Amino acid sequence: MTKLILSTGNIVSGGPSIIRKPGAFRSNLELTNSLRSNFIAAQEDYAAELAESHETANGHTNGTTNGVDAEAGIGGRPPATAWTARKDGILYVPAIEWDAHGLQEEPAEYDITAKLFFLPGAPVSQRPQYAKQALEHVLRELRAPAVDLLIVSFPGMSFEGDCEWEADKKNAAQGNDEDEIATWPAIEELHRAGLAKKLCLAEFGSEKLARFLQRVQVRAAVNQINLKNCCDVPPPLAKLAKEQGIELLVHSDCTDILPKGTLRELLGQGLGGAGLLADPETGAGGLQGDLTPQWVVKYTAVVRDRGVIEYKGYFAGAGLVDE
Amino acid sequence: MGLLCQLLEIWNKAKGKERDIMLWGDEVEYLVVTYSKDDPKILLSLRQADILEALASDKALAKAKCAPALPDGSNAQTSQPPPVFHPEFGRFMLEATPGKPWGIGFKELLEVEPNMKLRRCIAKDHMLSNEYPITLTTFPRLGSPGVFTEPYYPPSGSRLRSQFVPDEIANPHIRFPTLAANIRSRRGRKVQVNVPVYRDENTPWPWRDPTVNYDLHQWPEDDDVRNGASPDNFIHMDAMAFGMGSCCLQITFQAKNLTEGRQMYDQLSPLGPILLALTAATPVYKGFLADTDVRWNQISKAVDDRTPEELGEKPLKNDRWRIPKSRYASNSTYISEDHRLRPEYFDPDLVVDEDIKQQLLDGGMDDRLATHFAHLFIRDPIVIFSEDLKELDLSKTDHFENIQSTNWQHMRFKPPPADNSIGWRVEFRPMEIQITDFENAAFAVFIVLITRVILSYNLNFYIPIKKVDENMETAHARDAVLDRRFFFRRNLFPARARVPPPPARLGRLHPEEDTESGDDFPGLIPLVESYLDSVNVDVATRCRLAAYLDLIRRRASGELWTAARWIREFVARHPEYKRDSVVGEGITKDLVEAVIRVGEREAKGERLGSCGVVGLERLLGGLR
Repeated sequence: MTKLILSTGNIVSGGPSIIRKPGAFRSNLELTNSLRSNFIAAQEDYAAELAESHETANGHTNGTTNGVDAEAGIGGRPPATAWTARKDGILYVPAIEWDAHGLQEEPAEYDITAKLFFLPGAPVSQRPQYAKQALEHVLRELRAPAVDLLIVSFPGMSFEGDCEWEADKKNAAQGNDEDEIATWPAIEELHRAGLAKKLCLAEFGSEKLARFLQRVQVRAAVNQINLKNCCDVPPPLAKLAKEQGIELLVHSDCTDILPKGTLRELLGQGLGGAGLLADPETGAGGLQGDLTPQWVVKYTAVVRDRGVIEYKGYFAGAGLVDE
Repeated sequence: MGLLCQLLEIWNKAKGKERDIMLWGDEVEYLVVTYSKDDPKILLSLRQADILEALASDKALAKAKCAPALPDGSNAQTSQPPPVFHPEFGRFMLEATPGKPWGIGFKELLEVEPNMKLRRCIAKDHMLSNEYPITLTTFPRLGSPGVFTEPYYPPSGSRLRSQFVPDEIANPHIRFPTLAANIRSRRGRKVQVNVPVYRDENTPWPWRDPTVNYDLHQWPEDDDVRNGASPDNFIHMDAMAFGMGSCCLQITFQAKNLTEGRQMYDQLSPLGPILLALTAATPVYKGFLADTDVRWNQISKAVDDRTPEELGEKPLKNDRWRIPKSRYASNSTYISEDHRLRPEYFDPDLVVDEDIKQQLLDGGMDDRLATHFAHLFIRDPIVIFSEDLKELDLSKTDHFENIQSTNWQHMRFKPPPADNSIGWRVEFRPMEIQITDFENAAFAVFIVLITRVILSYNLNFYIPIKKVDENMETAHARDAVLDRRFFFRRNLFPARARVPPPPARLGRLHPEEDTESGDDFPGLIPLVESYLDSVNVDVATRCRLAAYLDLIRRRASGELWTAARWIREFVARHPEYKRDSVVGEGITKDLVEAVIRVGEREAKGERLGSCGVVGLERLLGGLR
């Protein structure tokens, strides 16, 4: 199996893709747009470098075979090897120049938040590895020793509907309590190791939250919820949060943030795709096999006393099983 | 050149100042009026000094019985020390600021509104029972014939020589009458504040200001009106009080360092006219409906000390240069060393004192900032106190502040004080005061969030400075927010590293686009929402912030009225209004009474709804 890690780099000054469009509430456009534009940027950078080196030496860059098509891509795309990188069994899309990253000031000056999305199709048993890997990448990118808040989002949960009471009730039957509780020790481990100062859940309604709190060792200090009108917190949830001293934060992410089809489109040969996947229809070469998105982590670093977002980005992990 | 020494002293001491945290402050200005149910007249109270005295001698300000709950149950108990009250130019005015600056914690943003209410309540508590602090920008009948102040003083005094307002209208501190007298004497005539009158169905046309007296012969300046100072179809005013007697909402930000301060100064500058139009609240002058909605140009004219030579009316003989703008005007410089600042954005007609600029350059200042200050220094200092001149103390900043504080551009770049205890600051000055503290808090918080958006997303709002000037004029039009379009940059986002920064792609922004996305211009409100989506905000805070953004979004779309539109509607629907542009005493009383009633309900934490006031639901949209 090949492991892929997709990344956006710092998107905070990345232009319109990060701006919420009216009517596109709770979409994953920020993730998909910024991945796409980061792929294109990496390809263009390569093309520009190539043009420069052609001018000077009229040379030719040799692609070493990565198991990825090393030939010049279809439709003028640069070869995958030129803008992706393979390291420790992971294919980075695009290649990451770790040296170019990091925060400008001391890590203590920031509030760093990471939100980890476990995706629906990936095995629950692998979640400890996913969590560890996701957080490692965030800390490496920011060159920070820990995140201040680690938010965990489990698949299959949301607050739906106009009536918030209704949403809270529905929520009670969503997700999978056993899977969520089985996953939590791995998250607690990250906390104990000092990598995540506070833990946070996402989309837990009052009933689920009450059940969850009874069965875990390190409690979540925060619950992040999405409400159409954030003035209408379901009263049972508001009450429970108050009793338990849990802070309720707002978000506008969607839970199924990277569906399988979307990932294939992002990496595929189609219009706007990165051209990494083989396409039997067009005969384009590339990665073969079944591609499964496993996790996504969104991270932000905000300068605490100035309210300035200095860094925001995503990593996404996926597995490719050869057929 | 004491000023320059002081400025260079500040510069050399503070240019390396780093990592100051984000602090900010708001200033709310009030008119003080007398009102009682049975008295047919509403008057301006001239008891500023007594009120300030009462406030200053009350050591228990913080324990005042003023801690009203907001409709959502939160209250005004904040971490703040008691608010601070200040004198203002008009003797009928009062200014209040928070007891200490605000930070950027989102919960702290929510303390602003209760704190503003607390300030108003404390102010009221130290007034006579028939006095009220209100936040209309101007008193509708300031300068009308008859009695409009309490106590009454006759006009035509030696200081102002105004035929409409008495000398006693101004704060008696020596600074203020001196300022007014010096402006008049420098000009060689009185100031001329002429506002186009609004032409209604029954307004005689051409319209001649019926309150102008052409037969006054007390002062040489009484000749002004005989020499054409009062043209047809304009409301004519002749004193500094008509401008400087306006209330506004000013916000000051502390920057992280010099570079960030310069960036904020430049980037907020093009937003000034848009926020002026959105906060428009000034449709009445001297008892007549004006054809404009905002105070800006009136203040500009009210402190315009340019001589006929500087104005270009006479050939230059004694003066050094022609000066295109009043000392109160929209910005004339950009000051950042941002690579995105292209040469064509600068004002080609900028006047600078080249000698001063050279001295600043020699003193180690860079070209752009030296140009900025050398531009401010083309103005004479109009108030200098002899005690300051006796001993020039480099550890103080008074001399520099003298020039700085009598240059009123829509942004102000403020160097740290002599002791370096505060960082580089930027003041955002164009907004008009709003009737309720809910609205004032909404606009204050909005502009604070906009600065965070600009810095986070590294946005580029640069447009040619001449276009900002033009926008400032556009903002004056009646209902500019609905009917006019503003030059606005459409490509705000940074280009990728390899590409040089693109020139401004100018669009005509309709403020409604604040809420929509046209091509790649996302709109200001979606930018703020995207910012809030990217930071951790608790549910209750986000809910309250959403109400603020909602107010501004609906003002921009025209769904809700500006205060100017509300006042016009109030006048138009009043039984005494004869469609002749005249806002009489009866209308004024009912208008101010309505404002007082809304203020009382807001102070008690009651829902405002319509509370029996004409059109109030269109002003506030049921958000409070």
